[in-house]
This record gives sequence, C-alpha cells and structure tokens, in this order.
Amino acid sequence: MEETELTFWRASVYGSLGLICFLGLWEISIRLHLIDPFFLPPPSQIITRAIQMTTGPDAVLLSDIRISASRVLTGFFLSVLVGVPFGLVMGVSPVVRATLNPIISIIRPLPALSWIPLSMLWLGIDEQQKYAIVFMGCFASILVYTTDATMRVDPVLRRAARNLGASNFQVLRYVILPGALPDLLSGLKVVLAIAWTCVISAEMVGANSGLGFRIWTAKEWSDTGQVLVGMISISVTVLILDIAFRGLERLLLPWQRKVPGS
Amino acid sequence: MTLIQLENVTKVFTSRKGDVEAVRGFSLSIRKGEVVTLVGASGCGKTTVLNMVAGFIAPTSGKVLLEGEPVSRIEPRCGMIFQSYALFPWLTVRENVEFGPKVNGISRKIRKDLARNYIEMVGLTEFADSYPGELSGGMRQRVALCRALANKPDILLCDEPFAALDAMTRQVMQQELLNIVSRSEQTIFFITHSIDEALILSDRVVVMSARPGQVKAVYDIDLSRPRKIDVQLTDEYLKIKRKIWDMVEEEVKASMNM
Repeated sequence: MEETELTFWRASVYGSLGLICFLGLWEISIRLHLIDPFFLPPPSQIITRAIQMTTGPDAVLLSDIRISASRVLTGFFLSVLVGVPFGLVMGVSPVVRATLNPIISIIRPLPALSWIPLSMLWLGIDEQQKYAIVFMGCFASILVYTTDATMRVDPVLRRAARNLGASNFQVLRYVILPGALPDLLSGLKVVLAIAWTCVISAEMVGANSGLGFRIWTAKEWSDTGQVLVGMISISVTVLILDIAFRGLERLLLPWQRKVPGS
Repeated sequence: MTLIQLENVTKVFTSRKGDVEAVRGFSLSIRKGEVVTLVGASGCGKTTVLNMVAGFIAPTSGKVLLEGEPVSRIEPRCGMIFQSYALFPWLTVRENVEFGPKVNGISRKIRKDLARNYIEMVGLTEFADSYPGELSGGMRQRVALCRALANKPDILLCDEPFAALDAMTRQVMQQELLNIVSRSEQTIFFITHSIDEALILSDRVVVMSARPGQVKAVYDIDLSRPRKIDVQLTDEYLKIKRKIWDMVEEEVKASMNM
C-alpha cells in the first residue's frame, strides 16, 4: 500500500491518542506502585501542583514564565540586532569575511554556560547578566547563519539588479536582504531554541526568579512535582513561541506561501 | 547612428587550470534601431561578448563603446534579459517591472503607469499581483521583458532568453518581440543557437566561430517587416537559412573536434 500524507485532522487524532496513551501508562504505573511517586509524580499530581502554582498563595508560575521569556526575547533581539547587519556585510564582502572569520571561529564553539563565571563577575546576577549569556550563546550562530544565507542569494539576481541601475546599497536592501530572508529566518528559529537553553542554565546557576531558578530550588526541597511543572512550562512556552515565529515567517514571506510545493 | 561598437575585443579568462581565450579580436557595430543576432555553437563565447557589452565583465584588450564612450561599469542603458529570467521571487509581477524605475528614483505614480502599460502590452494584467513562482516559464520571460523595457534601455541585450521554453511558447515569444520591435524601434542584441530564431528576428545575423570566438560571417537579412512567423515558409528565407546553416555546421563540427 502506498503511504500518503495524513490530513491535519487525522494527524491530530493520532497525535492525541499517542499522548493520552503515554500519560495513561505513566499514571497507571505509579498507581500500581511500579514507580515511587517521590521520584516521578503522576500526571494527576503534576496538574494539581500546576494549579497550586498558578492560583494559590505562592502563585509564581506565570510570573516565572514571563520573566524567563522576556530574558530570552531581550537577549535574542539584542543578538539579532548586532548579528544580522554584521552577517550581511560579511556575506557580501570577502574582505570583512576573511578579517572576522578567525575571531568568530574562536567564539562560536564556546557553550553559553562557559560564559557564566565571567558574566557573573562582570555583571552580578542581574537581568543584564542573563541578556549577556543569551547574547554570547546566540550572537556567533546568528552571524554564521546570516552570512551563509546572504551568500546563497542567487548571484544572477544581484547582477540583474545592478543592470537595472541599483546602487550597492540598493542591491543590499532590495535584493540581498529579502533574498536571504527565508534561510535567515529558519536559522533564527534554531537560535531561538539555543537562547532558551542559555537562559534556563543561567537561571539555575545564579538567579532568584525564572523557570530555571524555580526548577533548581524545587530540587533542593525534593519537590519533584514542581520540577516537572517547570519543565513542562518550558516545553509549552517554546512551542508557543515557535508557532508565533511561524506566523511571522508567513507574514514576512508571502511569496513562499503561494509557491506550490514549498 | 552607431550605438554599440566593439573594436578588436579579446577576452581571456584566467583560472588555476590555465588561461582560456573565450573571444579573440571581435569587432562589430550595432546601429540604433537595429536588431542584431549572434549565432554560434555553445561555448563559443557568445555570452562573454554580451556580458562585456552589459559591463558585467571587462575585455582583456580592445574596446567596448556605447555611444562612443567606453563601457566601464554595469551599464543600465543596456537592459539585459537572462535565460534564467532572473526575476526577484519575493516581488510581484508589478513590483518586478517597477524595480528599475524605482531604483532610478522615478516617482511612484509614473512608475505605476509605466508598469501597468507594459504588463498590459504582454497580456499579463490579471497576473500583476502574482509572484513569479506562480507563473509559467513563458509568462516569467514576458515579465522579464517588461522589467527590462520599463527601464527604457538604449539597447536590449538578450542572452538566449527563449532557450528554456517549449517550441510553441517560444514562437509566441518571438512574435511578441517582433511586435515590440515594429512598435518601438527598440535596438536589440540577441544571442541564440537557433538559426530560425536569428532569421525571424534580425536585421543582421553574425555567425561566430568556435572558441576562441571570432566573427566568422555577417549576413544582412532583407526579409520584409513587419514579419510574421510564417515568413519561414518563403523561398527567400530557406535560401539564406541554407547558407547560414552550412557556415554554422562547420563551426559546430570544429568545436566538437569532428
């Protein structure tokens, strides 16, 4: 039998079934005392804990999500603001590329975590330090993605634009930027996920708010329910941001939406 | 009046594998309002000649003159039509056509009218807001033609623009170009490896030798204008086609070392 692509609704039905089975097995294996709920609380208990954390007297979950998300987005935008223009220039200028490449090659392999000691020494555990960690974790990747995307723009389009009388700046603005945008946006989507890793790590090491901090303190109190609520909150927030990002892509790339088969 | 003058032009490409002489001692002049076609086997340096006229590459020696002045940069007065269309995929048909006027600082209102007229001329009005990705090859090349014409070039350079199209579409496009020529007396420098295409379109056909490309022969085509595709059935046409074919065949064999 030939394999065909499922419709959205059928796929959703299968997906829900999978999820329900997974949660059901999890719940049952704890009810049957196969797993100690101290190490892994059942879904029902996680839901109760999540409700406590959003409505109870110590309702911190929503503000933690807000704080972590704003750290991620601020740091991410800062690195986009610096990384994209630099990447564009590197993409079009072999001289700038050759000059900056060694520096970037040194910075890029460093995990964001390795910046935590220096950044705490310089900036304490304030918001600025979180932004700095995200920035260091994202900047070099954004630079490389932007440079690659810029270099992949069809040279015949640059030639056509020059032939129609466009100046160097106009070629950059009207041809290279829009031409690089599809690859650039898929690169940024990957980097946004990196930004989350940076913030959660930074919050675990030195912070007094945010999802990373909440998970880490819960572990100190052996509150596994809270650990899992924190983890699931990360998943859900990243998923929501991803959907928002896709919407942004559709908005910025109307011409790709209409091309059949892409 | 001479618009384009190539004087003893030679182009040598340097690469790690050694030098390749693509064009040697090439001389040709194109008058205003003339349609000149360059035919030759693939790899004979046709495109190199065109790219030098457009200013994309500089000759190794010799001169390329536009209205008596050497071409020293990418020259917007020489509007190019590429075989691969080279339309901006993120711009609609209308925005593609407006691109030249826009970067040259023509006001929004004037370039809107310009675009509308050209798009109407090639019968794409209902596709004005479509993206190139939604169009067929023939339609894309019509947009490319509009985009080049909207910039009011002194000369239209065509680099095998219809080579990727099917035979039927190709004929329609040739007729379209003939209509434009009869309407506007646009100067055109056209490259093709199809002798039929060359004969239908041109006032003069230049046969190029195998690499390094040189002018092998020049034929004046006196078929009456305005021309229709059915001119291909006349005796006059077949006679000159035979002459050019013999000449080209020699060069094709030479380029294949036969």
